[in-house]
Amino acid sequence: MSIFTQLMWFFRANKRLYIYGLSFLFLTEISQMVSPALLGSFTDRVIAREVTPEILLLYAGGILFFAILMYGFRYAWITNIFQGSALLEKTLRQQLFDHYMQMDTTFYQRHRTGDLMAHASNDLSAIQRVASGGILMLVDSLVIIVFTVISMIFVVDWRLTLIGVLPLPLLVIGVRYLSPKIREAFTASQEAFSELSNKSQESIAGIKAIKTLGQESQDVQAFEKEVTKTIKINKRVALIDSLFGPMATVIMTISYVIMMTYGGSLVVSNEITIGQLVSFATYLGLLVWPMFGLGQLFNVLERGNASYMRVQDILMEKSAIVEDIAGIDTLAQGNIKIDIESFVYPDDSDTKNALKNVHIDIKSGETLGIVGRVGSGKTTLLKLLLRQFDHYEGSIKIGNIDIKSYRFESYLRTIGYVAQENFLFSDTVANNIRFADVNKTQENVELAAKKAAFHEDVLKFPERYETEVGEHGVSLSGGQKQRLAIARALIINPEILILDDALSAVDARTEKQILSALKAERQEKTTIIAAHRMSSVMNADKIIVFEQGEIIESGTHAELMLKQGWYAQMYKQQQLVTTLVSKLDGQGG
Amino acid sequence: MVEKNSSVWAKSIPIKEQLRVIVTLIKMAKPFRKMFFTALAIGGIFALLQAAAPRIITYYMNTYLHGNDHVTWTIMISFAVIVAIIRLGQAVADAFNAYYFTVAAEYALEDIRVKVFRKLHTLGMRFFDQVPAGSLVTRVNNDTASLADFWRFFMQLTFAVMSMIGAYIGMLTVSVSATLLMLVVVPFIIASVIIYQRFSSSLFRHMRERLSSLNAKIAESITGIDVIQEFYQEERFKKEFDRVNGEYFNARFKMVKADALLLEPMIDLLLGGATVLVLWYFGVLSMSTAVAAGAIYAFTTYLSNIFGPLESIMSLFSPFQEGLVSGYRVLDILDNDTYAPAQNPDADQVISNGKVEFKHVNFSYDDEHPILKDLSFVANPGETVALVGHTGSGKSSTINTLMRFYDFQSGEILIDDHDIRDIKLDNLRKQMGLVLQEPFMFFGDVTSNIAMYDDTITDEQVKHAAEFVGASHFINRLDDQYHAEIQEGGSGFSAGEKQLISFARTIIQDPKILILDEATANIDTETEATIQQSLKKMRQNRTTLIIAHRLSTIQDANLILVLDNGEVVERGTHEELLAQRGQYYDLYRLQGVDNNTSDN
Repeated sequence: MSIFTQLMWFFRANKRLYIYGLSFLFLTEISQMVSPALLGSFTDRVIAREVTPEILLLYAGGILFFAILMYGFRYAWITNIFQGSALLEKTLRQQLFDHYMQMDTTFYQRHRTGDLMAHASNDLSAIQRVASGGILMLVDSLVIIVFTVISMIFVVDWRLTLIGVLPLPLLVIGVRYLSPKIREAFTASQEAFSELSNKSQESIAGIKAIKTLGQESQDVQAFEKEVTKTIKINKRVALIDSLFGPMATVIMTISYVIMMTYGGSLVVSNEITIGQLVSFATYLGLLVWPMFGLGQLFNVLERGNASYMRVQDILMEKSAIVEDIAGIDTLAQGNIKIDIESFVYPDDSDTKNALKNVHIDIKSGETLGIVGRVGSGKTTLLKLLLRQFDHYEGSIKIGNIDIKSYRFESYLRTIGYVAQENFLFSDTVANNIRFADVNKTQENVELAAKKAAFHEDVLKFPERYETEVGEHGVSLSGGQKQRLAIARALIINPEILILDDALSAVDARTEKQILSALKAERQEKTTIIAAHRMSSVMNADKIIVFEQGEIIESGTHAELMLKQGWYAQMYKQQQLVTTLVSKLDGQGG
Repeated sequence: MVEKNSSVWAKSIPIKEQLRVIVTLIKMAKPFRKMFFTALAIGGIFALLQAAAPRIITYYMNTYLHGNDHVTWTIMISFAVIVAIIRLGQAVADAFNAYYFTVAAEYALEDIRVKVFRKLHTLGMRFFDQVPAGSLVTRVNNDTASLADFWRFFMQLTFAVMSMIGAYIGMLTVSVSATLLMLVVVPFIIASVIIYQRFSSSLFRHMRERLSSLNAKIAESITGIDVIQEFYQEERFKKEFDRVNGEYFNARFKMVKADALLLEPMIDLLLGGATVLVLWYFGVLSMSTAVAAGAIYAFTTYLSNIFGPLESIMSLFSPFQEGLVSGYRVLDILDNDTYAPAQNPDADQVISNGKVEFKHVNFSYDDEHPILKDLSFVANPGETVALVGHTGSGKSSTINTLMRFYDFQSGEILIDDHDIRDIKLDNLRKQMGLVLQEPFMFFGDVTSNIAMYDDTITDEQVKHAAEFVGASHFINRLDDQYHAEIQEGGSGFSAGEKQLISFARTIIQDPKILILDEATANIDTETEATIQQSLKKMRQNRTTLIIAHRLSTIQDANLILVLDNGEVVERGTHEELLAQRGQYYDLYRLQGVDNNTSDN
């Protein structure tokens, strides 16, 4: 029941819906009691042959009147209550979505996309069921049971009522008993289903590997094995599920038997009339659903409660990144000064420093190159710069102001970030490029694409800039995705452009083209390039080399070459090729 | 073929198509007809018993309670026992009916699920390149699951019809003329069903469409959260979501209103009207002759036996529609004819030496834009041929045709001087080892990923293969070594490690021909060295075709083909090509570090 209290904020905010809805539901239940009473008393008059045209008109008119009245009542309560539950789902979904938009990287590492989706669909529909089916069952059970029993006592006979109704609570108990069993079986069935999904997901994703190895038939066999398992589990669900209806029938039978014997004896001894017995039978029928509902109500509430808890848990999580609301709201500008004493990833079991003693000065307008092997700390540093993590020791300042002192908008607007793998939205090429500013014109879009050496590619697409990308559109190659992402960052002409291994899938010729475009266009602006290929960074004003979270070398290309360290070694390795060419070439070297 | 809009709910399926889907699905359930018919028969028994109970109670009322005097305890108890037995019979029939039907439906849908899965494996790479993997997974699993709704509807439908027939028969035994009067209700029932069906189907479709775009929006926003936050677009996304969310709410509220107007309240109204008819008939009758006491009871009970099931089939319309759409999508796959290229019917050749020859091969993905133009080359047994060129130059297409992923249009591909289509497919697969650019890891452990489904491969052989490719090094460092678990997609393993495992997987088959699509992913320098060494070893005594991204790895190739727009523009050895100073030379120089060395 506590779920109703927890949802009180919503019921209160939508008082009107619930006052109307519950009133009409109540009226519907009350009106339902009238029909059996009329039927019973009419039956008596028919048997006694007292029916006159007036009486007939009265009864028929009465039943018809109530039927029409109930139609109106039913329409009113259904629209109000179900509108409420749909509104509850909508409200919670928006809350969740807004929350998702606010959350930090750690949150997304903790929760997988599938789980977050499940909260926004399955959990919400379980909560929504509390506000529709739950309320209906609650009111139904309370009102119908109370009023039916009262009607039975007054219209028929209190002794018959007492004994006749006695078996019905068994139904509640039975439903309560079977429900955990069905839930258990159902959970197993869901698990089997998701295993099946995983299996087919793997087969489809790995179709090329399977074809290559010629293992189609073995794969089908493996799938069939999973299917056999699923069938077995689902048969158990079907078995338990098929017991609910019969259980209700069995328990109702007990009541009917009592009605026929004890009720019959009361008729014989003239204590009640046959008409009253007819009414009693009808009332008994009315009780089946509320009893059944009462048993299910607990499940609906339990599930709703669990789902609401899960949703609340998610909503309670706070982003570790807190915006300084009173912060600076002019765009960040100026020299970048990075002084990080240490940084450790959250939730990391080994408290190994991801970054240690990192001190870098980048003058406004300079280009910084960052190299180092996979996992050495390049991307980590960039993540801090993007304010994905705030809990490092030390400071990062832009224009001598701590980056944490800026408003998000004014800070993030100054940065254009391109990752190695970039997410594109299911939208047109043009809209993906103007992602950060929907007001950019087609010219702006094309210009950005040209700078990113992507324009020529777009012209080859079926609908050029209006071509859809993403799952349902054209599929782009890795290099095309990277170049689109570069255009997306360039369109806002950011103060600071960050390319995080963003040229890895671009061929050498295109890389050169992009780098020289950047050089020409961004003389006044800061650029940070992290890369594996030394050719990407060798012309930077400053290059730093990371190793296990620390800077082991830094300087210009020429300086680093003199040092004969990691950079020089890697450079030479990649250089070997060029030298070969040069030899054959006979020019320079 | 590419679906612009994934939601089939966007358009309605024509009635003719719907009928085709229904007929086909029913035909597909044929192997399980025994179970379905058993369920139906039991349902018939249930309907009979359901009709019998009120009849007996009516008889009891009329005969023994009416006159007030000639009822005895024995009679009372025996009637109670009879009614109890009937009702218990009903309960048993109900349970068996539900169980049999659900299980039959389960078998039928799992059968279709396996058929879809099996079918997928007969389709060619063309199909998989065009249809997003996500939508295929949905079809194999979710769509087939929705077929349960399809079957439940049919169960309810037959059940409702039987209940109605049973109820009318029961009524007939009470009063023929009153029963005839009750037939007046039938047109109303039919009309309400038709009206509701018409309204609900379009509203439901609309609602489903909104729901799928809503879910797509959430999924996309979660996956793209980094980009959204980096470019500070949260507010825009919240606003857009508010709109999509509101649209779904509106669609749903319309559905609620339609249900409130036409479903349960309407059925109850009709039931009320029918009850009035009963009253009227027996009331008027009683004015002229005596009416049996149980008649009114019998008729009102039978009426609820008619209207109750009616309501439940009507509320199943929407799920049925869902099942129908799913059925449509499932059949769409089963009817798809983008088959994998077939071998010649009497293909019986086997690969013994591993000579590969392309003779004037032309190939296009869409019969419109040629991808490979007059491609010819020979790789003699044991030789290495490298393919070089920009993205889209035809390197991958060459491999797609050689692997029989796609059929080529004209020319010849010869292996050991036999037409490739004359070679037994399983032999072709075994003798041609393709190493993919992005190695695919299957759920399981290291051993199962190397041996795959082949039971004849021993653990010794797995170890040997791993040692051969230089993977044993890192495998031995794993906690469970060769039985270390591999998660979906191989998370936890580096790109290089995955590559080494896939090398072992290929080499354990001991193929005569090795086809390498060189990895471009960033692999750390140490593993990179192991990989290069391993590649060298693997290539020994094997014909090798290699798509090279880094030219440094193919300097010892016997033949290098430079492809441009599907044509061979240069061919020769490394030295020959460099001397030509053509495209290869340019490519080669660009891959080195440029600028400060030489500039023309």
